[in-house]
Amino acid sequence: MALGEPNMKILVVDDFSTMRRIIKNLLRELGFTNTHEADDGNTALPMLKDGDYELLVTDWNMPGMEGIDLLKACRADPDLAKLPVLMVTAEQKKEQIVEAAQAGVNGYIVKPFTAQTLKEKLDKIFERMAG
Amino acid sequence: MEQQYEEISQRYTEQLNDLAKKIETGQTESAEKILDEITRWREDSLFQELGKLTREFHEALQNFRLDSRISSIAEEDFPDARERLHYVITMTAQSADRSLTATENSMPICHDIKDRSRILREQWARFTNRELSADEFRSLSKDISVFLDGLDRDVPVLEENLSEITMAQDFQDLTGQIIGRVINLVDDVEASLVNLIRLSGQHILNDKNDSTAGEESQKQKKGKERDIEAQGPMVPGVDDEAEMVSGQDEVDDLLSSLGF
Repeated sequence: MALGEPNMKILVVDDFSTMRRIIKNLLRELGFTNTHEADDGNTALPMLKDGDYELLVTDWNMPGMEGIDLLKACRADPDLAKLPVLMVTAEQKKEQIVEAAQAGVNGYIVKPFTAQTLKEKLDKIFERMAG
Repeated sequence: MEQQYEEISQRYTEQLNDLAKKIETGQTESAEKILDEITRWREDSLFQELGKLTREFHEALQNFRLDSRISSIAEEDFPDARERLHYVITMTAQSADRSLTATENSMPICHDIKDRSRILREQWARFTNRELSADEFRSLSKDISVFLDGLDRDVPVLEENLSEITMAQDFQDLTGQIIGRVINLVDDVEASLVNLIRLSGQHILNDKNDSTAGEESQKQKKGKERDIEAQGPMVPGVDDEAEMVSGQDEVDDLLSSLGF
């Protein structure tokens, strides 16, 4: 399955079910229907390890394992090191954005965000992955 | 303490018996003197109790001041929490407005589609019953075409409005995080007040076993430090805006300055 194709497998990680539903709805609008959910890093990591996911969309601030630690865990795992990770978070401290960039995030969206922003960042990720 | 009370009640009993006798024998003046004396005793012990309470209160206040967590709650955390809760009100109000506006904009479109399809259906029923003249049929064809064009125009608007309603729900995540922080503060206040009660209780009971109080505030401190990493949503006027980005554009600028 190539990146950006409608059936690509996406994991959405957020501790608030409302936000997971919003992101899933937006992704569906953009044509992505193969979305799955987890409510924090601890639940997400095992799913990612044996799930053939092609994109991870994660929040930062979550009980249990936070998004930044999930990102770092992915980068440390040879199988997940290349997995595109898009952060969608209310964390907007500059040093946090820098930290996420250094940890190897592929896109960073601050909440509240628009459907257009999500589309732009996804397109950018797919573009880079293809090129 | 008990012995003191026994003495007092014995004094009262004696005086009251005396008072009853004086009244029975009509010695009003002496009776009044006894009454005055009883009142004076009463006032004396009231003053003593009041003095004791004042001292205890003073000591409790001293301890209250010593508990720096409480003063930082009063000086910083409460006003901060108030601002955050105001922000929650603003966000939920905005979200409700956005949803209601989208609904209000969609309703007339739905009504219009419903009305027009009803008229078309009636005409269509006449057509299938072969009741339409050639002219009427031409007019029906035109109406159907106009109706379909209208759908092409209206349905995307409805989709957009529904997306708007979906996006308006994003407040739940942000306000949830903010309220979560205020709940943590309430937990802190509760713990500090319990500490205070324990401290003042110790003064009254003169119990010196207060090692747990220190541990408690130590625990609160640690809990606070752990929060540094995840900040939660930025609240205008509360958080240091210089350290924060104000929106997606600034995030993009910052990332591209990092060669991203």
